[in-house]
Amino acid sequence: MNFKRFVTASLLILAPVIAVHLVKQTQWGPVLATPPERQLGGPGAKVIIVEFSDFQCPTCARVEPTIHQLLDVYKGKVRFIYKYFPLKMHRNAMPAARAADCAADQKQFWPYHDRLFDTQLAWATLTDPTTSFMAMAEETKLDIPKFTACYADVTRTIGIEQDVKEGTAREVSATPTFFVGDERLVGQVIATDGARTIEKAMRQ
Amino acid sequence: MKYASIITRAIVGGVLLYAGFMKAIGPSAEFAALISAYKILPAALIGPFAIGLPYVEMWVGLFLLFGFYTRQASVATLVLISSFSMALLSSLLRGIDLVSCGCFGADSLSPRYTIVLDMILLVLSIVSYRQSKIPPAYSLDKVLP
Repeated sequence: MNFKRFVTASLLILAPVIAVHLVKQTQWGPVLATPPERQLGGPGAKVIIVEFSDFQCPTCARVEPTIHQLLDVYKGKVRFIYKYFPLKMHRNAMPAARAADCAADQKQFWPYHDRLFDTQLAWATLTDPTTSFMAMAEETKLDIPKFTACYADVTRTIGIEQDVKEGTAREVSATPTFFVGDERLVGQVIATDGARTIEKAMRQ
Repeated sequence: MKYASIITRAIVGGVLLYAGFMKAIGPSAEFAALISAYKILPAALIGPFAIGLPYVEMWVGLFLLFGFYTRQASVATLVLISSFSMALLSSLLRGIDLVSCGCFGADSLSPRYTIVLDMILLVLSIVSYRQSKIPPAYSLDKVLP
């Protein structure tokens, strides 16, 4: 290989590596307004954790105890915001998000959210999960006629799609994706790096 | 004939470059999840494969696009696209319900369209390979012998 070919080959090999690195350096956009029903922690908290999550995603269910643990340890210091990000590959994820959003209308988002994750295996593969979602609505003491009307309203997906758009703009494509301050953590990394990332964000 | 080479290289190289780039800029965990859905690779290989494959696609695509080591890049393209097609066909034959092929990261196609795209790319790769016996026109191989 002569020198010119060596330099050309090196440039062609380095170019995509540099391009990908530059794109990944992009700063994330601002966190858009989220209803208070889907937030935990004080509004004045220094660190904001945003989770883009899918109720049918097994990893999202697995990281739940970690999130609860982190929120306990950093009580008053962090604010947690839940954003819907139902993946297209999960057929019941959008109906689940719609059901949770209806529970949020009745100020029962978090109990409903917990039930969805606790019982995920039971409804995830159902052709029609409506019966399961109704049962959860009863368990979480929701007003059933109101919940039924809300769940049947297809326009409820608009708000969910807005979260998806926001996530896509922040280059979210897998769930769960967390933003702890400026740092992005994907998947179960929150269990190993969550505390360190919160501490780092608190120091900034 | 000299335009055929640059056109086939631009199409195949461009698609590989785009596919690799879209996967590389997304979280590798997501691509790893899509690879595992194919149920072909052992779990230990999925992570390294999810990180490495997008770069291999980009390098092969770029070399083919610029006509640099065109013959080797054409062979690599044939190997890549044949492997993708076989993986997809095998998953369809095993009844695996792939919602997305995972080909372009977040902008993925349904497996049905992917098979068609793979077949087109395979034909174009063969054309590109046949035309690369001598350094093709509008290529770095021609400029940098």
